[in-house]
Amino acid sequence: MDNDQGESRLKKEHGFKRELGLLHATMIGIGGAISAGVFVMLGHAVALAGTTVIIALILCGIINLFTMCSYAELGAALPRAGGEYTYSKAAYGGFFSFFTGWFEWISNMFFAALSAVGFAYMIPYILPIEMPLTSVALIAIALIAVFTVINIRGVKEAGTTETAMMLILLAILLAYIVSGMTTPQAQNVQVYAPEGFFGVVKATSYIFVVFLGAEAVAVAQAEIKDPSKTIPRAILLSAAALIAFYTLVAFVTLRTVPSESLSGQSAPIIFAAEQALGKAGTVLLVIAGTIAALSSLNTSIMAQSRVAYAMSRDGYFPKVFSRIHDKFSTPHVAVVIGSIFTAVLAATGVINFVGYATDFGFIIGFALVNLSLMKLRRERPLIDRPFKTPLYPFTPIAGIVTSLFLLIFIDVGVLSLGLILCLLAVFAYYARMVGYLRFRIAFGGISLSLGFFITFLAYSIASGTMLLSGLSPTTARILLFILIITSVIQVAAGILNVTAKKGAA
Amino acid sequence: MGIRRNVSIAVGLAQSIIGVFAAVFAFILYYNFSGIQTVLNIPQKDVLFYMLVLIVFGFVSIVGGLFLVNGQ
Repeated sequence: MDNDQGESRLKKEHGFKRELGLLHATMIGIGGAISAGVFVMLGHAVALAGTTVIIALILCGIINLFTMCSYAELGAALPRAGGEYTYSKAAYGGFFSFFTGWFEWISNMFFAALSAVGFAYMIPYILPIEMPLTSVALIAIALIAVFTVINIRGVKEAGTTETAMMLILLAILLAYIVSGMTTPQAQNVQVYAPEGFFGVVKATSYIFVVFLGAEAVAVAQAEIKDPSKTIPRAILLSAAALIAFYTLVAFVTLRTVPSESLSGQSAPIIFAAEQALGKAGTVLLVIAGTIAALSSLNTSIMAQSRVAYAMSRDGYFPKVFSRIHDKFSTPHVAVVIGSIFTAVLAATGVINFVGYATDFGFIIGFALVNLSLMKLRRERPLIDRPFKTPLYPFTPIAGIVTSLFLLIFIDVGVLSLGLILCLLAVFAYYARMVGYLRFRIAFGGISLSLGFFITFLAYSIASGTMLLSGLSPTTARILLFILIITSVIQVAAGILNVTAKKGAA
Repeated sequence: MGIRRNVSIAVGLAQSIIGVFAAVFAFILYYNFSGIQTVLNIPQKDVLFYMLVLIVFGFVSIVGGLFLVNGQ
């Protein structure tokens, strides 16, 4: 759809019902961001920045707000399912939009799996039961199944569930803030930054993840009532509310417990609540933590399904993803398929490691949304924009620069994972968009290269050019045997795939 | 069914199985089952790198193998 007139027609998304009001949409934004992470991450952030962690949180909020302004403008102008993917599709199309949607889809599935497992790990804090790894996985899968059903039954049900959970969570956090402000043992918060300005920057990068997820409003935008007004209001309200809540929670925590004692705590807010309110404080904050995990699970299941739906609608994903349920008006197939992937991820237990990739995906998404906004402003100035980003182009440029700046401080392992996700995106895109045969030949080439490389490796070990230090002779022989077999199979597979012809094996 | 088709299925299956083993081995290495990191003399700091290499290798092998088995 290339003209601006057509754009207004795009505002009606077939099959979806606009059932979410401002309260529902705002709670989806807040619920998408407040996860169990905030309850555990403050300790390390305090170790990096001392009491100036409050400045780090405000900085995170401002960085988040730059990009949320872009979300608000694009969400009101293009209120179709798919969020970031839809914006980049309108601005760039092709691989760029696929890339954006891919990261959004995968990041939300990882985030959902992390939230489900995070919930399971909190159960022993409430109930006196043992929680072996198998039980954690089973509880996480059961939870994913429950929220899959809720999300299939309708967006209103999912939105109402989210609103109810968030109201309870916010009430508990408010009680914690009020009690922390009025507790007699409270102390004045002195400015203390153990690593100076650099520590504040590192803490900003580390704790920024607690703001990620508020953009879930944009993903559900096809189901929001009066989108031109509600979407920007909900996005900006949730972004502002997050700054207020996080800053106040950190302030109260630092007032209750000295920063030196906080830095070593695995769950610093719960620890501070125990100091201020006794055992009741621990129970309340653990309940808040479990609700946070549940709400982020709910939001991310909804978000992944809407992205998959939108990508299927545009032909990037198989058509089955864009089926809408006759009765519930939800993309039920996309919900179920995404939930199956999420359950598998939760069952492996390896998500603690891979889950960091969600941060990479969300931060890349931020940069892409700001780029999309700038391109659409330049090339399609006549699109109806009910909300306009203030201080343009400073705001989106600041959003891009600060997002990419945060990547500099991300762990090398996370960047490697991000690179793998990029490669997978390229593979998936070309598998779908480029012909089957060409893609098969490309894979044949990769197999052939791997086969030759492994042959060279095996030759180097066998000839003694490469030494396997610390391995017993038996282990070295087994390894050499495996390498030879693998190289033969990879070379054979490579030749067969490279020489494949259309319609032949 | 021609010879080439049979060979393709056999090689494709073998390649996919190798891929699955590589991916499973990546997790075994990560969780250090049966002290595998000590047996293979892999330092803790390098485990992440080996895991990534094995996962990418596994992915490429599984997809390449499935192309051969599917063989349209």
